[in-house]
Amino acid sequence: MNQKTQGRLLQWAALFLFLQSIILTLSPAVRERSWDVDYRFSHWIGFSAWGILTYIAHRSLTKSLPERDTFLFPLASLLSGWGILTIWRLDEGFGLRQTAWLGLSTIVFVAAVSRLKSLSLLKRYKYLFLSAGLIVTGLTLIFGTNPLGFGPRLWLSLGDLYFQPSEPLKILLVIYLSAYLAERVKIRLTSLPLLIPTIVVIGLALLLLIVQRDLGTASIFILIYTVFLFIASGKRRMLLATGAFLLVSLSIGFYFVDVIQVRVMGWLNPWSDPTGNSYQITQSLLAVANGGVLGRGLGIGSPLLVPVSISDFIFSAIAEETGLIGSLGIILLFWLLLTRGLTIALRSPDNFRRYLASGIASYLGIQSILIIGGNLRLLPLTGVTLPFVSYGGSSLLTSYIALYLLLAASNIEDDEPASLRDSRPIPFLAGLFAFGFAACAVTGAWWSVIRGDDLLARTDNARRAIADRYVLRGKLVDSNNRPINITTGKSGSYIRTYYYPDLAPISGYTHPVFGQAGLEANLDGYLRGLQGNPTSLILWNQLIYGTPPPGLDVRLSLDLNLQTTADELLGTYPGAVILMNAETGEILVLASHPTFDPNRLDSEGEMLTQNESSPLLNRATQGLYPVGDVFLPILEAKFPGEIPFNSRLITLYEESGLFRTPSITLPSVDYTLPNSVEDLRASPLQVCLAAAAISYQGILPAPRIATAVNTREQGWVVLPALGEPRVLLPPEAAKEAAFSLIEEGGAFWSHIATGNISKTAVTWFLAGTPPDWQGAPLAVVVAVEKHNPALAERIGKSLLNAALDR
Amino acid sequence: MSGAVVLALRLLAAVALYGFLAWALIFLFREIQRQAVALAVRRVPGLSIMVESPGGHGVLRYFNQAEITIGRDPGSDIPLSDDTVSARHAHLVYHHNQWWIEDLASTNGTMLNKLPVTIPTVITSGDEIQCGSIGLSISLSENVIIEPTQRLDKQTHSQ
Repeated sequence: MNQKTQGRLLQWAALFLFLQSIILTLSPAVRERSWDVDYRFSHWIGFSAWGILTYIAHRSLTKSLPERDTFLFPLASLLSGWGILTIWRLDEGFGLRQTAWLGLSTIVFVAAVSRLKSLSLLKRYKYLFLSAGLIVTGLTLIFGTNPLGFGPRLWLSLGDLYFQPSEPLKILLVIYLSAYLAERVKIRLTSLPLLIPTIVVIGLALLLLIVQRDLGTASIFILIYTVFLFIASGKRRMLLATGAFLLVSLSIGFYFVDVIQVRVMGWLNPWSDPTGNSYQITQSLLAVANGGVLGRGLGIGSPLLVPVSISDFIFSAIAEETGLIGSLGIILLFWLLLTRGLTIALRSPDNFRRYLASGIASYLGIQSILIIGGNLRLLPLTGVTLPFVSYGGSSLLTSYIALYLLLAASNIEDDEPASLRDSRPIPFLAGLFAFGFAACAVTGAWWSVIRGDDLLARTDNARRAIADRYVLRGKLVDSNNRPINITTGKSGSYIRTYYYPDLAPISGYTHPVFGQAGLEANLDGYLRGLQGNPTSLILWNQLIYGTPPPGLDVRLSLDLNLQTTADELLGTYPGAVILMNAETGEILVLASHPTFDPNRLDSEGEMLTQNESSPLLNRATQGLYPVGDVFLPILEAKFPGEIPFNSRLITLYEESGLFRTPSITLPSVDYTLPNSVEDLRASPLQVCLAAAAISYQGILPAPRIATAVNTREQGWVVLPALGEPRVLLPPEAAKEAAFSLIEEGGAFWSHIATGNISKTAVTWFLAGTPPDWQGAPLAVVVAVEKHNPALAERIGKSLLNAALDR
Repeated sequence: MSGAVVLALRLLAAVALYGFLAWALIFLFREIQRQAVALAVRRVPGLSIMVESPGGHGVLRYFNQAEITIGRDPGSDIPLSDDTVSARHAHLVYHHNQWWIEDLASTNGTMLNKLPVTIPTVITSGDEIQCGSIGLSISLSENVIIEPTQRLDKQTHSQ
């Protein structure tokens, strides 16, 4: 029965890891949505090595420790195998190294299991062990280094090998405390014998914190010591006292130790500085959110976005790729490990084993709760490793030594448990740890399920940009289906190509670094396939790929022929041109100069944001120019033969829609009421709507630029205008105004105006088809940023002629 | 297509992970069951106790359970209706392969072979116990009583 348990559990572990390995092999095919890819095979080395090493250790355990606990080894083995596959998925080089470390750890483990079945040696040489550990840790103060070349210098290096002595020091401390306390029958908190270990532990913690900046290990030392005092004395106030002590030292440390300040601020308010000090934690939460319930599948998520995902943040990497199911699983595995450890403690025939087992179990429990809680923002981040799972030779070796100690302590041959002086401490501890793990599980569910969608919709979620490389984004086409912005390349290296760069301030861009702008931003839902596609398709794609489905094409009302004409006419002059169908509100031309080339954002993007002529600004809808006397024709039509009061002027401007943002799928400015009539400003789009009212029956049309979307099921579906047309003038008055503005022998009405507020000068040119025009009524607005009526008139008239000749 | 295949594998992997956990829980349950069975079939050597009655002739009683309580309380295994006996006076417990006597903080104390019982003490055949003014003499049975039921039998075989 005993042996069967271990074997059967190991078979399940092997099956799980085998399936994960297949998933990792196939993952490139899923990422690129094709069978013709380079599959991943190298991690099978890790899987096979895990299988062989686990088998050897299994055999040796069965032979040497027949009465051991049979759950511990399968639990640890599954965790370390899962760790190796995850590390291999993140970085093949580190995966190979971790496999080598697993080999070394297993050799040490098997040697200990077969040679050192009794733990009495440890008890006898406790001071030797502790001093050796302290000396080696002390050496890091002098010879310490960091494999990364920066950060806390906690490692000792031997050529290319790095070792972190503070890891095994935790175990040595546990052995020392167990032996020390087991020698004393009754522990009083005020007794003198407690002085020595207290000084040792507190001194060690302070040293680690102040000299090494290792917040995690320092708090683990304090917590392990508290657990010992609690078990030995049975006083619950011990825990409260330590809790208070940690809180106080945290708040003192907050002001004096910068690493604490950074960690606490990043914990309390990560979103205030998501790219700086809280970059790690926000990226970790995004990874957990991206995992959802089922996870993306090993190799299919993007856990590499989280810094140090192989060690400190391996839990969020696992949560991203195996989802809530996986993270709950891993929490349950650790909880089982801890519960078994405490059970061993209860069954121990002597106090040394009892202290040792509960100390080791608590060490594993504390460390895993600290780092899982840190990854999930349940606790401030402490840079400790997840036992058995995280990358790191010292950590893995220490975990395996801890496993050996637990197994050796559990190998009890028919001895009655030693009597327990106080029945409360161990069950209370078990409850406390269960509470900690449950809190981790609930927090994990909170970020991955309840808050998941909100987090993923954040613009600083780099996964959106990654999805854009693998999923075809919809095209933007003009009214004759000529491409404007399209996505080119093959899956995995899709890039957005801009066929008509002069339209950049309007059509915008979508870029992994600079984000999105213009129509690309406003129509993102359709272009990304999240709008206009059936919900089932979106959910299915989310489930199997973790990305939206291929995007939908959107047709714009723009006419690229006329647009070219307008862009050529406007040339290098800063300003804007709009040509609109006055009846339907469809925008045929929308030009804003100066412009930029979004194809070259990679190299020029940084300069563009600082360019003083603001080429990124869409002047046609976002530019606000002094109104001047541009509304004179409307004024005259509305109040013939009189000069209206300011209040009636304001009413007119209000009716003309000047104080409102036009409803259109383009970024527009929010308008605020000006201080005075002289201070009034308007965007070219607003002026164009008023011009449209003169051209067509006094109605302000609802502007439209996105006219149709190409859905999968119904083909092109019309996108209705966002606003409603509104009456500005009586049709007769509009007609009269238009006739009065037609020049002698001219084919259309026109009006020139200038606006001037402080140093901003603008020349407006308004024109449109006459009321008796048989074709589609047109309205044009030109705004140039200088006093040059001739230029504005030439641009407007040439464009209108080109449109009428069409 | 590759996505659907891998989705199936991901679901299988989840099943495997929870298969591991489910088996761990099943084994845990079986362990508890086994432990209960092991404790239930633990061999308790029977115990004969001759209880002195005030009239002079004793009553011989035989027990094969692991705990025997003595006291004035009528629910006791050996009820003694004597004013010098406390309600819960003492008990005899079998553990560590021995029968032990423990005084349960009685008013008039328990004596083992004329010596007061202050800590749990091992008893053997021929020992004389005095609870208040009542004397009891112990004799351990040679024949060990086991109570294997059908169900227990089956379980021990299946393991």
